[in-house]
Amino acid sequence: MAQFDEKISKDQFEPAIIDASTSERISKPSLNYWQDAWLRVRKNKGAIVSLVVIGFLIIMALIGPSLSKFDSNKQNTKHANLPPRIEALENISWLPFDGTRTLKNGNVVNPYEQKQIEEYYWFGTDALGRDQFSRVWKGTQISLYIAFLAAFIDMVIGVTFGAVSGYFGGRVDNIMQRIIEVLSGIPNLVIVILMIIVLKPGIISITVALTITGWVSMARVIRAQVLKLKNQEFVLASRTLGASHAKIIFKHLLPNLAGVIIINTMFSIPNAIFFEAFLSFIGLGLQDPLASLGTLIDEGFRAMIAFPYQMLVPAIVISVVMIAFNMIADGLRDALDPKMRD
Amino acid sequence: MKKSKFSLLLVLTLVLSMFLAACSGGDKKDEAATDNDSDAKGSELAETQEITVLESAEIPSMDSVLAEDTVGFTMINNVNEGLFRLDQEQNAVPALSDGEPTVSEDGTVYTFKLRDAKWSNGDTVTAHDFVYAWQRAIGQETASFYGPYIMSGVIKNAVQVNAGELDVNQLGVEALSDNELKVTLEKPVPYFTALMAFPTFYPQNQKFVEEKGADYAKNAENLIFNGPFKMTKWDGVAATEWTLEKNEEYWDAENVTLTKINYNTSKDPQAAANAFEAGQADVTPKLSTPAVISQYEGDPRLVTWLEPTEFWLKLNQENEALANKNIRFAISLAFDKDALVNDILQNGSLAANYAVPAGFVKHPETGEDFREANGDMNTFDAEKAKEYWTKGLAELGVDKLELNFLGGDTETSKTVDAFLKDQLQNNLPGLTINLESVPFSVRLDREDTQDYDILHAGWGPDYPDPMTYSDLWLTGGGHNKMSYSSAKYDELVKSAQGELAAKPAERFEALQEAEKVLFEDAALAPTYQRASNVLVSDKLEGFTYHIFGPEYSWKYAKLNK
Amino acid sequence: MIKYIGQRVIYMIITLFLIASMTFFLMKLIPGTPFKNQAKMSDEQLEMMLDHYKLDEPVPVQYVAYMTNLVKGDLGTSYQFANTPVSELLGARIGASALLGFQALLVGTVFGIILGVIGALKQNTWIDYGTTFIAVIGKSIPSFVFAGLLQYYVGVKLGWFPVAFWKGPEYTVMPTIALAMFPIAIAARFMRTEMVEVLGSDYITLARAKGANYFEIAFKHALRNALIPVITVLGPLAVSLMTGSLVIEKIFSVPGLGEQFVKSVQVNDYSVIMATTLLFAFLFIVVILIVDILYGLIDPRIRLAGGKK
Repeated sequence: MAQFDEKISKDQFEPAIIDASTSERISKPSLNYWQDAWLRVRKNKGAIVSLVVIGFLIIMALIGPSLSKFDSNKQNTKHANLPPRIEALENISWLPFDGTRTLKNGNVVNPYEQKQIEEYYWFGTDALGRDQFSRVWKGTQISLYIAFLAAFIDMVIGVTFGAVSGYFGGRVDNIMQRIIEVLSGIPNLVIVILMIIVLKPGIISITVALTITGWVSMARVIRAQVLKLKNQEFVLASRTLGASHAKIIFKHLLPNLAGVIIINTMFSIPNAIFFEAFLSFIGLGLQDPLASLGTLIDEGFRAMIAFPYQMLVPAIVISVVMIAFNMIADGLRDALDPKMRD
Repeated sequence: MKKSKFSLLLVLTLVLSMFLAACSGGDKKDEAATDNDSDAKGSELAETQEITVLESAEIPSMDSVLAEDTVGFTMINNVNEGLFRLDQEQNAVPALSDGEPTVSEDGTVYTFKLRDAKWSNGDTVTAHDFVYAWQRAIGQETASFYGPYIMSGVIKNAVQVNAGELDVNQLGVEALSDNELKVTLEKPVPYFTALMAFPTFYPQNQKFVEEKGADYAKNAENLIFNGPFKMTKWDGVAATEWTLEKNEEYWDAENVTLTKINYNTSKDPQAAANAFEAGQADVTPKLSTPAVISQYEGDPRLVTWLEPTEFWLKLNQENEALANKNIRFAISLAFDKDALVNDILQNGSLAANYAVPAGFVKHPETGEDFREANGDMNTFDAEKAKEYWTKGLAELGVDKLELNFLGGDTETSKTVDAFLKDQLQNNLPGLTINLESVPFSVRLDREDTQDYDILHAGWGPDYPDPMTYSDLWLTGGGHNKMSYSSAKYDELVKSAQGELAAKPAERFEALQEAEKVLFEDAALAPTYQRASNVLVSDKLEGFTYHIFGPEYSWKYAKLNK
Repeated sequence: MIKYIGQRVIYMIITLFLIASMTFFLMKLIPGTPFKNQAKMSDEQLEMMLDHYKLDEPVPVQYVAYMTNLVKGDLGTSYQFANTPVSELLGARIGASALLGFQALLVGTVFGIILGVIGALKQNTWIDYGTTFIAVIGKSIPSFVFAGLLQYYVGVKLGWFPVAFWKGPEYTVMPTIALAMFPIAIAARFMRTEMVEVLGSDYITLARAKGANYFEIAFKHALRNALIPVITVLGPLAVSLMTGSLVIEKIFSVPGLGEQFVKSVQVNDYSVIMATTLLFAFLFIVVILIVDILYGLIDPRIRLAGGKK
């Protein structure tokens, strides 16, 4: 309270020097859209962790199969259905890597000792004695490949369709919108299933089936954005200056759509992974020797009670992949979507 | 706001009801557990003779002339009855037939005397009911599959009647009186009485069928019974649960113990085993997954039996490489069948080194199994396979081969085919196998058009006679579809079909001889003979399975305490 | 509004027509016949059977016949179930699917909304992170993986609920939970976002400035406004339940449409596949239409796409 009583003498004031050059100075370094976005993503711990996890999984998907000394397709029926065993960890009893499994009556057995097997299968083996470790990473590789491919195709078709539809408007837009309306009325999974029965199951046919209706949501979002953008000043200016349609779309519109495109693509990757796994689960997946996480889960599911690890490992991997992609997508959306800016 | 309150209330009620339901569910389980404990008391009959059985599919049809799948056959077998019935030892014993029929000297005319039996509407089962059902089964407008399939070449004029060349009255079946049935055959059929246990040959009550018209066999209300049980609840083909109850009007009702059988469908083997463990079922469907079966190794509740169903690789001789006998030999010897049945299938299946399955038919005189005389005919031998392979490749003038391999898309076939592919590629250097797993109907279609190199297929018989296996491989035969042709084989099988028909022993031996020819030509590469595995409650006694036609008979079963 | 609905209905019919045609021709591309005992049929018998079911006619003729029947409301007869009209088959199965779907939607949205509201109210606390994480997991873990684990651990190991079949309310618990995971996740995420936005708006600040109780604000003002946009996700959710039901019904032996569809696909039962596809498509379109109309009714600010002209 005492402060209020204190008188401030005039000579304590000093005129401020108005320097036109400093008033225009920007105290923080100038950031472009991407730097700005990166700053925001960085604040999102979940997204960063997910990014690291995905990076790790992608690396494992690429080098994992060769880390194990067993080839992912080498069968050895004498070593069928072995539980996981890892060298350094086998003596730590609370870890599931000691090479034992529990029978239905509660007895714990060690098939490695029973069958006198020296080798270490880190994630165990499947019904044909194939090394699960290399199979899981090989499967991750293929699942990711299908997902990236499908997401990329969705992106190309969706962006082109949406941009053309939104940009030209009028009759073109009307027709293209009707096409989208019809397509989005199709239950995609049912069509995907029918497509797979007709095409032979394989990486390409699964990807094609996934993209048949997959691009529609992308096209919708892009169209909405383009509709918004095309009447803004910078586009009008460019048009007035005589820029061609292609130039306007590629030079002016697309860069402004980048955020939306990335967010949507990031969401369509886990979607594609899920659909592929789903198809495998109802028996319409890839053919041997190709394996994806979906086919591994499908095989493991049937043996779930006897050999739970055969399902658990690929199930954990697919869940981690899905969670990580979703978190990254969330993080990116928060960072790139101007609506959510804080 | 009001709306959301209301829905919250709804959810709360729902959650509450779930918990209440969960509690009552728990009680039931405890009861089951105490029942298990009292098991030690010995095999006293339980008070309620009621069991729950799981099937892997719905009932596609309860009309005995239209049924064409095991679930349908099994149900019809339990609620209806024909002239004969399969007993616990797989023998056909007289049922509606009052004792064995009289057979004419040349073995082509059978006369059955019918016992006094009633339909569930009170009508007597007469010889006319048989004539009606058989004529219906063969008639074109019925479009039955099994009628023409099983009668052709057996019942006189069946082929011509089905083709519409003759009137249905010309079919070789005739009611001499209300309780006397005369059947005329095309030729002597040694297994004819066993055929009479097949549901397609069961009688139908003409009055009832015609009265119901299109509604006949639509659901339990539109069915009529003359067997050990009655179907009391079945809402039609889409129903996933149904109920059989004891038929007190059945002529042998005093020997039927079970009073009620509840059916449920469960298509996933693991889910079925889970339900069995949880006490929700007394019998599971056939378990096909090795991982599920292996959990019950040594468990007395796991009932395993060998089926006469065999699987093999068909080698399409339209393919130039496979037309080479050495190549075929190499392929048929190049995969480890013991590893296949012991390490992969793990369900009691046998390594098949033969074309006619084991435990299927016996020599009519000596009573020896078909396999005794012929034994193993192509056992796995990697060394010999390699020798044949090198020789074959040299003859073809190539050093590597690429063959496509068509397999099924079920979990078991996918695993087995992946194994076979690996074995073939490893044991035959220079061989590349392109595996294609396709749905059943696609596989059939491509088999039909011979659009394959190697095909993994199987055959399950409908009647106990080696001919069902032997006539598959006749030159140009409807089921050959791999361009195998051997004059010697044809001659042996044709003689068994023709002049040896009345001489069972010689006929049998001719077919054994034919099997040898098949393997001298390496026409076929058998893989395994399938075993069935089901979980059966240890309280259920007299569980009876069959190896052809219907799958189970509950007539002989009873529930102990 | 009426004009708009009329327009949508016309598109609906066009869509259904296209789907019917597409399914029909896809079916015709699949090799093989729907006869399960084809392996045992002689060539003559096969011909006879194809003739009986009119499958030997040229494809265009079959197409016209199929479309004509469809317009008359005749969906054909099933092959796997001897001569049973498909409509009967679908009729017998739709009940279980509808009940399961409804329960899952109800459980999913209610729990999802609760989670979302909690998350938004406790924004940026560990409770918020917890609910967000639950939502991410629910969205990420494939439903069949979750269903398998649920069946084994809760059904078999703990024995709390029956593991399979469809005989009473207690049998619906596990499939409902398995199916509800996705809706919970989606509803929770959506609800949280909306709620955060609404809580940050001026009128809430005003209400707080006026000294209103925090919870009163949350439930009286914020929740109400945040709920409206949630309706938009109901459509996609209902559709996702259809997808989920395909495997969930199989795992828990539920006698529903999804289970029947998967089986029919495996045995080439053309008429059942086509009818089920059409039914799914119909439900799908209707749900989306209803959601759009509802949305327009509830929130007059939103102009329907068709109303622009």
